[in-house]
Amino acid sequence: SFAKELFLGNIEQKGVFPFPEVSQHELSEINQFVGPLEKFFTEEVDSRKIDQEGKIPVDTLEKLKSLGLFGIQVPEEYGGLGLSNTMYARLGEIISLDASITVTLAAHQAIGLKGIILVGNEEQKAKYLPKLSSGEHIAAFCLTEPASGSDAASIQTRATLSEDKKYFILNGSKVWITNGGLANIFTVFAKTEVVDSDGSKTDKMTAFIVERDFGGITNGKPEDKLGIRGSNTCEVHFENTRVPVENVLGEVGGGFKVAMNILNSGRFSMGSAVAGMLKKLIELTAEYACTRKQFNRNLSEFGLIQEKFALMAQKAYVMESMAYLTSGMLDQPGFPDCSIEAAMVKVFSSEAAWQCVSEALQILGGSGYMKDYPYERMLRDARILLIFEGTNEILRLFIALTGLQHAGRILTSRIKELKSGNVTTVMETIGRKLRDSLGRTVDLGLTGDLGVVHPSLGDSANKLEENVHYFGRTVETLLLRFGKNIVEEQLVLKRVANILINLYGMTAVLSRASRSIRIGLRNHDHEVLLANMFCVEAYFQNLFSLSQLDKNAPENLDEQIKKVSRQILEKRAYICAHPLDRAS
Amino acid sequence: KDEPWLVPRPPEPQRKPIKVPAMHEDLFKPSGNRERDKASFLNAVRSFGAHNVRKRGHVDFIYLALRKMPEFGVERDLSVYNLLLDVFPKEVFRPRNVIQRIFVHYPRQQECGVAVLEQMERHGVMPSAETEFLLIQIFGRKSYPMLKFLRMKLWFTRFKNINPYPVPRDLPQDPLDLAKLGLRHMEPDLSAKVTVYQMSLPSDSTGMEDPTQPHIVGIQSPDQQAALARHNPSRPVFVEGPFPLWLRNKCVYYHILRADLPPPEEEKVEEIPEEWELYYPQKLDLEYSRSGWDDYEFDVDEVTEGPVFAMCMAGAHDQATLIKWIQGLQETNPTLAQIPVVFRLARSTGELLTTSRLEGQSPPHSPPKGPEEDDETIQAEQQQGQS
Repeated sequence: SFAKELFLGNIEQKGVFPFPEVSQHELSEINQFVGPLEKFFTEEVDSRKIDQEGKIPVDTLEKLKSLGLFGIQVPEEYGGLGLSNTMYARLGEIISLDASITVTLAAHQAIGLKGIILVGNEEQKAKYLPKLSSGEHIAAFCLTEPASGSDAASIQTRATLSEDKKYFILNGSKVWITNGGLANIFTVFAKTEVVDSDGSKTDKMTAFIVERDFGGITNGKPEDKLGIRGSNTCEVHFENTRVPVENVLGEVGGGFKVAMNILNSGRFSMGSAVAGMLKKLIELTAEYACTRKQFNRNLSEFGLIQEKFALMAQKAYVMESMAYLTSGMLDQPGFPDCSIEAAMVKVFSSEAAWQCVSEALQILGGSGYMKDYPYERMLRDARILLIFEGTNEILRLFIALTGLQHAGRILTSRIKELKSGNVTTVMETIGRKLRDSLGRTVDLGLTGDLGVVHPSLGDSANKLEENVHYFGRTVETLLLRFGKNIVEEQLVLKRVANILINLYGMTAVLSRASRSIRIGLRNHDHEVLLANMFCVEAYFQNLFSLSQLDKNAPENLDEQIKKVSRQILEKRAYICAHPLDRAS
Repeated sequence: KDEPWLVPRPPEPQRKPIKVPAMHEDLFKPSGNRERDKASFLNAVRSFGAHNVRKRGHVDFIYLALRKMPEFGVERDLSVYNLLLDVFPKEVFRPRNVIQRIFVHYPRQQECGVAVLEQMERHGVMPSAETEFLLIQIFGRKSYPMLKFLRMKLWFTRFKNINPYPVPRDLPQDPLDLAKLGLRHMEPDLSAKVTVYQMSLPSDSTGMEDPTQPHIVGIQSPDQQAALARHNPSRPVFVEGPFPLWLRNKCVYYHILRADLPPPEEEKVEEIPEEWELYYPQKLDLEYSRSGWDDYEFDVDEVTEGPVFAMCMAGAHDQATLIKWIQGLQETNPTLAQIPVVFRLARSTGELLTTSRLEGQSPPHSPPKGPEEDDETIQAEQQQGQS
């Protein structure tokens, strides 16, 4: 895929340049849909009330069901809308106007029933999907347990096969289940005993479709949360729940793959959802900034306020580009593996959301802090984005390690030769280093006469090419230095992931802005500005990160960071003496 | 028949030298029913000044007062030291010309001043600005007490916090609390749990079959618990001890539960469960790893010593007591019931011998074979200091 190629210092243009488009027919179809939906969300959904009361009103849910939003991606033959990933992202933009509804719907269809679509067999699909897509039944995804946050190996829920081999008896507890109190259908992951080919018994994870009617299912009371307070999150307990063997999702013992597929497939949509939220946010704050007077001037005339709008617009533009680029890739035939790209979209958009909402609140100053305005609620709601669907820390490791694994496989022979001291390879490497240090220009074919990037973005494209080239070199050096031990170097991995996210963002905006210029979209000069601005910022960030990845760089403070934290964690406290303390 | 010089002679009944009462001794005599505390000490010092307007014999008096300070429990009190220095007459011992400055001017007085500072140093008392002022007034800037003072100023600050594992200045008197403190002191893991397996009973409780029930306190960290759970039950674990641990002037004894290092063939290679890879790859499928030239770690020889599973401190060091500890441990470590436990107790503990006199004096709550033997005088001082 595109991201994996970046690790080798290449830019794979297929699927990325030109920016993916949807057909006119599809577009007009979705636009018919978007209008009423937007109207419904702006006029009928009272986010403030949802937040205060901690639940979504029944009539709102009914309306959502009648709009078909509970089965956006369910194929049409099962009663869903059967929309593509790109269209799903488009609807997500509007749904995101209320965070609680977004989370409820996402838990239902992005993870709750996704397993049935991805790996369910015909009977399971026919039995469950129609009712799920109509919203008659709500789905929930049950993986997390008290003992396991991100560590799925320690799940304790067990499913044991009954004597007559017709049922699995399910026992255990799951925590933090979104929709846990509303759901009728649960995708539950439990340990089952599996006999290996050599006859030994091991515990493996299996996915089950569990109906509430199977009995023995109880809920804890809804959790009181910081944000997304309208969504229902609670514990779900299973006590001797009898699950028929037909309800095993995928294979017995194959739950791990199911869980991984579900989680990896749902992440890209956060990009467009956050972008939708940010666009709304920009409207709200711009209205305020242009009317509020301070020192006889509008707020909008102050540079420090203007800067915040530029930041919000830039972030929104980048994440939108990344999200639709990724969804466009996902919609290409052959189920391409875009898990790295989706993870990058998630990391970028969640962090941008937090930053931008915070800046928006800052524009309002003290008023933003008050409950009269929606900003504090948006801030609270945005905080969860950094945590769920895989925390950003874990996703960074995923991004970096998956790419390094790919690069490592391809570079293995070269690195082996280098390590054994093959004269030709060593000389070649030294020669390459020498050429790089003498400042050769990098040309990966983005610009020029037949280039895919528009000339007004040429400088930015050159910056991207340069970054990609040196990133490839750095990856090679890192692999040479650490080899498989790089798994333990989390600070290094974080930087690799950060660079990659920036590179992907640069690619996305270059591709999108080029398309906008060529087909002459409205305000494309604005897009060019945003794209160039982001590319310059990202370029310098990347240069800094790349130099930090150098072994003896003065910018690299890893050793000090590790030592400081080690000393603190040994004592489990801040250990400096008080500034007022005296020696005597 | 023995070689007379190889065998130490039985100690002759010490004939105490006839003690000549030092001068001014009577100032520190307990007068009436007065307590021996700071107030009475200050009183004594003040009355010296009052009786001796010309301060005759002040050097002797200061030496005597320094000796008496611990008795009054003021040996750590800066203000008392300053008051003692104040006894010196001012301006008299300051060198006034070059020659006096070259040779030690009033050596006896300067030595006495240094002695005061030395005692402060021994008890860890940091001199203050007032001390400096007094020293300058008495001996002048270029003098030995002043030099000593400067050195103390320099080094005290540097050495004050040099111990990363500080021991509190006043140790708890209760052996149970002292044992808890000692165990915490040895255990680096802060999540380790201290458990009191048995409280010591007061020895005067009659009617019990075993009236002297020693206390048993143990400590075990979650990691140790997990290691014990993993232990191969066919290999024995050992209770070893007693080992001494010094906390300031007290010595306590502890026992450990340990095993031998498992032979390399028994070590299980930890397999990474597949489920860990749910979010990100836990290991890379590469053949090469970090090279030697990139390794800045020190070459550390791993100690080939077996794991320690728990530690305890008990009032008695016999097997019967320690069995109770093991029984207590079995409640939290069920696997311990299947593991054979071998007691490897040192016959002689190497403890400081207890004089019968101290045993008679020891407070009733401490067991007769109490592990803590301390310098009697110091204990007496501390009790003084606390009262």
